Amino acid sequence: MEEGTFGEWLKRDGETIERGTALFVLEGEKSAQDIESLDRGILRIPPDGPRPGETVKVGQLLGYLVEAGERAPFETSTAPAGHLPVAVGDAGSAATPPAGPATRRMARELKVDLQRVPGSGPGGRVTPDDVNAWVPAVLVKRASERVTISPRARRLAGQLGVDWTSLRGSGRTGRIRERDVRSAAAANGPAAAQLSSSGHSPLQRVAGDLPGPWLSVTTMRKTIAARMAAGVHETAPVTITTRCDASNLVNLRQQFRQTACNDEPVPGYNDLIIKLLAGALVRHPQLTHQWHERGIYVPEGLHIAVAVDTDAGLLAPVLRDVDRLSLRDVAARMKHLAEQARSGSLSAADIQGGVFTISNLGMFGIEAFTPIINLPQSAILGVGAIVRDAAVVNDTVVPRDRLTLSLTFDHRVVDGAPAARFLQTLRQAIEAPGAALLQ
Amino acid sequence: MSSTLASVTAAVSRQTLLVLYRQMQLIRQCEEQLARAHQKGLIHGACHTYVGQEAIAVGVCAHLQTEDVVFSTHRGHGHALAKGVGPRELFAELFGRANGCSRGRGGSMHLFSPETGMMGTSGIVGPCILQAAGAGYSFKLLESDQVGVAFFGDGAANNGAFHEGLNMASIWNLPALFVCENNQFATEVPLSYSAGNPDVGSRAGAYGLPGVTVDGNDVVAVYAAAGEAIDRARHGRGATLLECRTYRTRAHAEGMGDFSYRTREEVEEWKRRCPIAALEARLVAEGIATPDELRQITAEIETLTADAQQFAEQSPLPDPATAAQHIYAAPRIGIRSVSAPPPGTREITYIKATHEALAEEMAANPKIFVMGEGIGKRGGNFNTTVGLYDLYGAVRMCDTPISERGFVGLGCGAAMTGTRPVIDFMFADFILDSVGEILNQIAKMQYMSSGRLKMPILLRGCIGIGHSAATHHSGNYYPLYAHIPGLRVVVPSNPFDAKGLMKHALRCDDPVMFLEPRELLNLKGPVPTEDYEIPFGQAAIVQPGTDVTVVAIGRMVPQVLAAAKQLTQPGISIELIDPRTVAPLDMESILASVAKTGRLLIVDECFAPFGIGAEIAAGIADCGFDELDAPIRRVNGLHTPTPYSPTLEAAVVPQIEHIVSAIKNLVDE
Repeated sequence: MEEGTFGEWLKRDGETIERGTALFVLEGEKSAQDIESLDRGILRIPPDGPRPGETVKVGQLLGYLVEAGERAPFETSTAPAGHLPVAVGDAGSAATPPAGPATRRMARELKVDLQRVPGSGPGGRVTPDDVNAWVPAVLVKRASERVTISPRARRLAGQLGVDWTSLRGSGRTGRIRERDVRSAAAANGPAAAQLSSSGHSPLQRVAGDLPGPWLSVTTMRKTIAARMAAGVHETAPVTITTRCDASNLVNLRQQFRQTACNDEPVPGYNDLIIKLLAGALVRHPQLTHQWHERGIYVPEGLHIAVAVDTDAGLLAPVLRDVDRLSLRDVAARMKHLAEQARSGSLSAADIQGGVFTISNLGMFGIEAFTPIINLPQSAILGVGAIVRDAAVVNDTVVPRDRLTLSLTFDHRVVDGAPAARFLQTLRQAIEAPGAALLQ
Repeated sequence: MSSTLASVTAAVSRQTLLVLYRQMQLIRQCEEQLARAHQKGLIHGACHTYVGQEAIAVGVCAHLQTEDVVFSTHRGHGHALAKGVGPRELFAELFGRANGCSRGRGGSMHLFSPETGMMGTSGIVGPCILQAAGAGYSFKLLESDQVGVAFFGDGAANNGAFHEGLNMASIWNLPALFVCENNQFATEVPLSYSAGNPDVGSRAGAYGLPGVTVDGNDVVAVYAAAGEAIDRARHGRGATLLECRTYRTRAHAEGMGDFSYRTREEVEEWKRRCPIAALEARLVAEGIATPDELRQITAEIETLTADAQQFAEQSPLPDPATAAQHIYAAPRIGIRSVSAPPPGTREITYIKATHEALAEEMAANPKIFVMGEGIGKRGGNFNTTVGLYDLYGAVRMCDTPISERGFVGLGCGAAMTGTRPVIDFMFADFILDSVGEILNQIAKMQYMSSGRLKMPILLRGCIGIGHSAATHHSGNYYPLYAHIPGLRVVVPSNPFDAKGLMKHALRCDDPVMFLEPRELLNLKGPVPTEDYEIPFGQAAIVQPGTDVTVVAIGRMVPQVLAAAKQLTQPGISIELIDPRTVAPLDMESILASVAKTGRLLIVDECFAPFGIGAEIAAGIADCGFDELDAPIRRVNGLHTPTPYSPTLEAAVVPQIEHIVSAIKNLVDE
């Protein structure tokens, strides 16, 4: 017994108590009982002593037995200093509902917002069952059909650098076992080892026991693969598109062609757009900024990388200081760079230092696409085909040359609105190229 | 009831009378002070006071030497003080302090002070009777003149332990005294209601023992009767039942209601018969002591009591880090272990191997004695003791009545007092009647006494299904015992292990459940003739392998070996591990094997739920999760009582084909 209910005093304040006298009634869990005094004396009941019905704890002071003439302590002491009740504060935060790590992981995997899940656990704690009840059954099913792997095989896969998520398990229920990881590692061991030593770990893919045939992978292919994957996985890419009226651009190009000299290259659409792009970048330098762990880096020089398709694969030679080049220079240098790229004679310097990339798939009739950011840059422009299309001008349908621009930018560096303003500037430049080229 | 006359008082010396007075005052004042302390919340648990019954402990213990031993009940403060436990140690114990007599592990109901011959009080009614008989058995075997005394209430007189204990004390003529403190209520059930014959003292005759009934509130009467009984015990004339009629004048336990089952008037009537006041009046009336002399004794005791309380309050609480100490005796060091018998070793049966171990240890250690039904001249139902009776006689090879609880409880008391009992209970099923003695007393005794008592007792018998023995001769039960802290549980699977483990069991100070699979008793195997022992907690790798770890226990070890012979296809190489002891369980060896194979199967004839397999699986899932290449699997006997008919019997035991298919399935997982 740790506490009981105080029944009543069986003796009055000031009465003389003999040993064995019943003093008061205490109600325990099972019964009420008379509590006898083990000592003799005069009973003194303090004014703040327990009242009938109050809970009293074992050891709690109820009253005093004093000698004749002795004063009880409550008569001699001054009134006790009052104290303010201190309530325990409650933050009352609704930010994150309580949930265990397993529940959180499950919510992450199922893309469930835990705040929306009613918790049935103590204190509103969200349990795995709550998450299961919340998400549509189809998602639960998907989660339960995920690849299973034995703990031993999982550990081994980590040690051997094997990505087990694509393996087919040989266990009776499809579980990936130690032997599956070992055979995968044996089949692709050398390639996997090379990749991991070149530091492009995200590119590792082990196809297990697929029959083949297998193509060998060139160093360039590996580099492209690594850079492309990084452009997708290590940035926050967003792609926006806009359609421009390219009629004036087409018109301008016609004029260049008609007045061209023999020994000078006629600026192509790509050259025109590169030059217009440089103007837009001068007005929106944020698109050239770069995300680094230390902070946002502002590179010097308006160097634009231009994607060039070659037999060996994609290359992006860099055209330097485009803002300072004349359109004629742009066309000439671009022609030279493209030739170097296709002949494999680019130097390392020729492909370094770009602050923005432009990629043109218009010659294949592609209108819009989602180009991949060329790290450490923050944006890339995809240029589509110029298409003769019906346009509505002053409520009249008229034929027009239309060009679609696709801009992928890294949202870590640039927000949507400034990116859109940049693209708007570029569109306006394309629609009125004469004025823009004068700037 | 023998009356106390002035002439009796005259026969007791003035010095003794004053000692009796002083001791009663000590108990009374300590109890009242403890009651106050309980009201103040200084005593954390129960507090059963001895107020009103002081004359009994004092009158009996006045005849005891330090070497004599007392076993008592939940109402044991008075016995402890009378036997010589200091009030400081008593108070400190009830206050839960590190220097209490039980080092803070016992409280009011578990007072241990083996140094003073206070062998413990118990929260269970009855075992103290058996333990006192066991002490008597030790003293008989050791040929000492010590005496074992049990104090118990009238409630215990209706418990089986009373019947079995008094009967055994009678047939073996044990130096014991059984003191029934008849305070008329078993908690709140009156003896007049609960006994067909409430004259407890008269029941001694039913067992061929002398029975004496005295006024328990008359210390001189108790002193006189106890003196006679103890003298009888000391001189080889056997045990006595002494009934002392008395009354406790405080509630069963402090803080409990008192007048729901008895009246205030009745309590007041008994308070007037206070044993201390009675002696005081007589001492003054007969001119033996003056009131001043008695007041002076009372004042001295007041000082002692106040000092005890102050000492206890100032004493430190026990260090929480010590909470799991002394569950087992300190392990012996320097044991030379033998890995396996060398080739060419002679082959003997399992039963012969344990017989050799027992015979060799009995020859080396005269404190070993064996108890069981038919283990004397007959040599045991399974020939466990053949020939030993002729060598060691009836005291060391003791045939028992069918009183399993009795002789197991007796064995507990014997192990506490200097001898090493071997209890041979034939079939494991039989010993279930004594499980309270094993779990509540034997297993806990070392811990509760904070390692000051040892518990060198070996409990052996057959386990396992076979021979159409049906449900009362086929149980395994070892998970039950392995669950309990304080027990060692051994299940040998071959003659070599059986001998080495029994040798170790007979040399260690812990209680050992030595469980022998009946189906293996005639199994032959190599056993060296040289002395060797196998320490507990060391698994044997019966067969090394690479693909699957199979842990098998007892009878299942040869079954798995047979299964392995059938599994000859590549990719199924079995590593078979025999833990040999399930408590302690050698998880390290199992983990090391699973680290190699990645697969674990546990084969156990015993039931799956809450079993050894579950324990092993949980341990490996915890410590070896990343080693596992497949789920952990178990093969167990069916969760059913054992049926008789051979077809039914075979259906409840794991068969070789079950093991084969379980291993194949596990490899495919």
